[in-house]
Amino acid sequence: MLPLSRTFVAVALLASAGCSLQPFHKEPPPSPSRTATRGGSGPMIPEPPTVSSTLPQEPTIQGPAPSIPVPRERPKVAPATLSPASKALVSQAQAQRKKGDLPGAAGSLDRALRIEPNNPLLWIEMGRLRMDQRNYVQAESMGRKALSMAVGDNRTQAAAWQLIADSLQARGKNPQAQEALERAQELSIQ
Amino acid sequence: MAKRKRNSRSRRKLQRGFAILALLGLLALIVLVAVLDRRVTRQFEGRRWTLPARVYAQPLELYAGQDLSSARFAQELERLGYIAQTPVDRPGTFRRKGDSVDVYVREFRFSDETQPAQKLHVGFDGEAISALSGPGGADVPVFRLDPLLIGSIFPIHGEDRIIVSPAEVPPLLPQALKAVEDRKFDTHHGVNPLAILRAAFVNLRAGQVEQGGSTLTQQLVKSYFLDSRRTLRRKGEEAIMAFILESRFEKADIMNAYINEIYLGQDGRRAVHGFGLASQFYFGKPLAELNLPEVALMVAIVRGPSYYDPRRHADRALERRNLVLKVLADEGVAKRDEAERAMKTPLGITDNAGRSANYFPAFLDLVRRQLREDYQEQALTETGLVVFSTLDPLKQEKAEIALSDELARQDKGSRKAAQGLEGSMVVTTPQTGEVVAVVGGRRASFDGFNRALDMKRPIGSLAKPMVYLAALQSGRYTPASVVMDEPIEYKLESGDVWKPNNYDKKLHGPVTLVRGLTQSYNLATVNLGLDVGLGPVAKTYVQLGLDEAPPQYPSILLGTAQLNPVEVAQMYNTLANGGFRSPLRAVRAVIDEHGKALKAPELEVTEAAPAEAVYALDRMLIEVFERGTARSAKKALPPGLVVAGKTGTSNDYRDSWFAGFSGGHVIVVWMGHDDNAPTGLTGTTGALQAWTRLMASISTTSFEPLMPEAVEDRWIDYYSGLETSPYCSGSAVSLPFEVGTVLNPNPACPPSTTAEEAALMQPPPPPVVPNE
Repeated sequence: MLPLSRTFVAVALLASAGCSLQPFHKEPPPSPSRTATRGGSGPMIPEPPTVSSTLPQEPTIQGPAPSIPVPRERPKVAPATLSPASKALVSQAQAQRKKGDLPGAAGSLDRALRIEPNNPLLWIEMGRLRMDQRNYVQAESMGRKALSMAVGDNRTQAAAWQLIADSLQARGKNPQAQEALERAQELSIQ
Repeated sequence: MAKRKRNSRSRRKLQRGFAILALLGLLALIVLVAVLDRRVTRQFEGRRWTLPARVYAQPLELYAGQDLSSARFAQELERLGYIAQTPVDRPGTFRRKGDSVDVYVREFRFSDETQPAQKLHVGFDGEAISALSGPGGADVPVFRLDPLLIGSIFPIHGEDRIIVSPAEVPPLLPQALKAVEDRKFDTHHGVNPLAILRAAFVNLRAGQVEQGGSTLTQQLVKSYFLDSRRTLRRKGEEAIMAFILESRFEKADIMNAYINEIYLGQDGRRAVHGFGLASQFYFGKPLAELNLPEVALMVAIVRGPSYYDPRRHADRALERRNLVLKVLADEGVAKRDEAERAMKTPLGITDNAGRSANYFPAFLDLVRRQLREDYQEQALTETGLVVFSTLDPLKQEKAEIALSDELARQDKGSRKAAQGLEGSMVVTTPQTGEVVAVVGGRRASFDGFNRALDMKRPIGSLAKPMVYLAALQSGRYTPASVVMDEPIEYKLESGDVWKPNNYDKKLHGPVTLVRGLTQSYNLATVNLGLDVGLGPVAKTYVQLGLDEAPPQYPSILLGTAQLNPVEVAQMYNTLANGGFRSPLRAVRAVIDEHGKALKAPELEVTEAAPAEAVYALDRMLIEVFERGTARSAKKALPPGLVVAGKTGTSNDYRDSWFAGFSGGHVIVVWMGHDDNAPTGLTGTTGALQAWTRLMASISTTSFEPLMPEAVEDRWIDYYSGLETSPYCSGSAVSLPFEVGTVLNPNPACPPSTTAEEAALMQPPPPPVVPNE
């Protein structure tokens, strides 16, 4: 039986070896010495798979071949807009908010989100409503959700950062709020 | 003389005895009447039926661009009990003409407002709605239909009912009830002695009970106040109470109470009371919209809901309905020619398969459990709450069909172990975390063991994404990192040695993360998980939405954690939602019987895992369909639809799982035996098949999450993880890496290789396709 610790070390070593080839972080490829120090005197250090010829060549194709790869391009993003249906529901929600009918407003925005779940503007709107409801943590979360859906859309990202800044400020987190506000201002200038 | 004296004395004694007895009897009667009067009056005046919470599905939203054809819209209207007719002149009717539909929408009280009955014109452009307009041709941007009633939360073995006001009752119904059950209703005082005598005579001649002489009032009293024992004393009480009721209340009140009270059918453990619910139960539409033959059938059922059950004894029900129609014509309640035409119509009940339509017990079970967090059981079963749920009737129906079709296919297949399988399905929408369908077993409308919630099973390889997520978020791994797929022995605390194996019993040596995951290699995953650490792996379960982390045994890396399908759906929903966790919701809103909004779970999102790591994991899960264990399913899906997911198979093929998502829907499928016997199926040959059936049959969108800013796509070799060019071979795969990540180039075919250069290279390294 192989002692666990040794196996583990070997695995860890291998992993770090694999990792050293393609680190996730922006750093230069580590020197082999790092591998050595981590691996210590482990008995079965596998060859790092740097050369393609050492890799197993799989023999046959079964089933359909993978679809022909097409390079992905980061899509250019136009500023987000609301569909007519969402627009109507957002105005309805705003009217409900004005009347103080917050559950009603939430219901209207829920409806819009079901129609356009990927529209960051709706998440920002929902975050604004959460501010009214004094649910600042969720307001920030909605802002962050909007950010993730507005990659490349500066105008919408600025609005999301503004929401995040407001939610942080409402919780007294002023330095972070200031930072978020600066992000919002930077983005709106661009 | 002495004798006579004695005689007269004893007679007098007897008389006195009788007098005392009579007096006592009268006193007892007075007391009894007083007691009954109190009871009847108090209970009847309050008129408080215990009202189970009514649960509605989500309403169909109509708006320009909505993915809905006119044919499917017509089907949805029919599901809601709308009648196709010309002219469209009352609520609950519609007309489809070519690519447009005119519909007279019913009034409905939503959680935020009451939407009045109104006419709507819906234009279609092939598979989508092109425009909506109101009566004056005014443009309507968005409109919701009245939602489908899907059930109530009634006490166990309890009564279920929908209360109707007199305005909601078609005038024909009370007339028909009187004509058939109680002709002297308008004039009698609760009891009709003549009817009793006649009934007694008929029964005597027939030698059995064929006719009841009870008035409607007596029937109401029996149902409302008494149990069903048939003793003489009960009969007496019943008569007295009927008399009291009549002397204290108006005939109209009594009729309305009767219409809401009377027992009209049984649906499993649910007792169907009142014509309001019975109308939904038998015809799937509001009572007000019933026509002559339908009203006649309801009146026919009154006499014996089980004997004249139109689903189980259609012949008897039809015969009695036609008898009722004849009586209605004889009594002048209906015109003779109309009654005769009505006799020729079929029963018209919603479903002849012996199950009630639009009844989804597994989903209702989830609703009930979520509501129990905020409400007392009694509030749910008695106070008339109205619950707006997230159920999508169409998705629910498709899910039930997908599962039962797949189980039927397995039943007919050659694999003995896969016959008679059970199954479960859960469908959610990733961004909002709404549960749109739940199937709890093979017989979806059977209110029994709910496998979606009550069954915990090892998740098998569904656990692998959690291991890879832990690895990616550790910052030490990328999709191109290499791990060893080689034997491992792990000494457990018990002293036993854990020696996992690959499904194909082969070793694959060094493999990339993307390959290890897509091919579901056990050993590569265990080696990776042990390096990352059991703690961080277990933590991902909580990040993704479980309440508790699984125990940190190494076997959790291969899915020994036991979860139910709803829990799995919660975790995969977070993966489909870019690492944002939204607690799954089955309820959108709750209002009380007066329309006031009450507490309900709100939409919530929490950033639970780093977007970059989740994005990379999701892209690898797409590859499961491109070159991994689900690639066989690709051809059964609509062309171009991008989906992601993972197969799961537990030890000895006891559980077959698939969990995966498109842009719009997360679907989790489990198949297995209740007694935990092996099925002979993998996740691929079992659950994936049902998953694909469903994904292919619903309207959904591709899974195309936006790439996080800090990430870029690079082409790597699937086998070596070396950076390469898209033209190099079938094994080049595009995956996301943090911007600036250093990747070693493939010397045989570097990233700069052009299509022309690649064509000259001989031969391209062929890809592999081993099984899970």
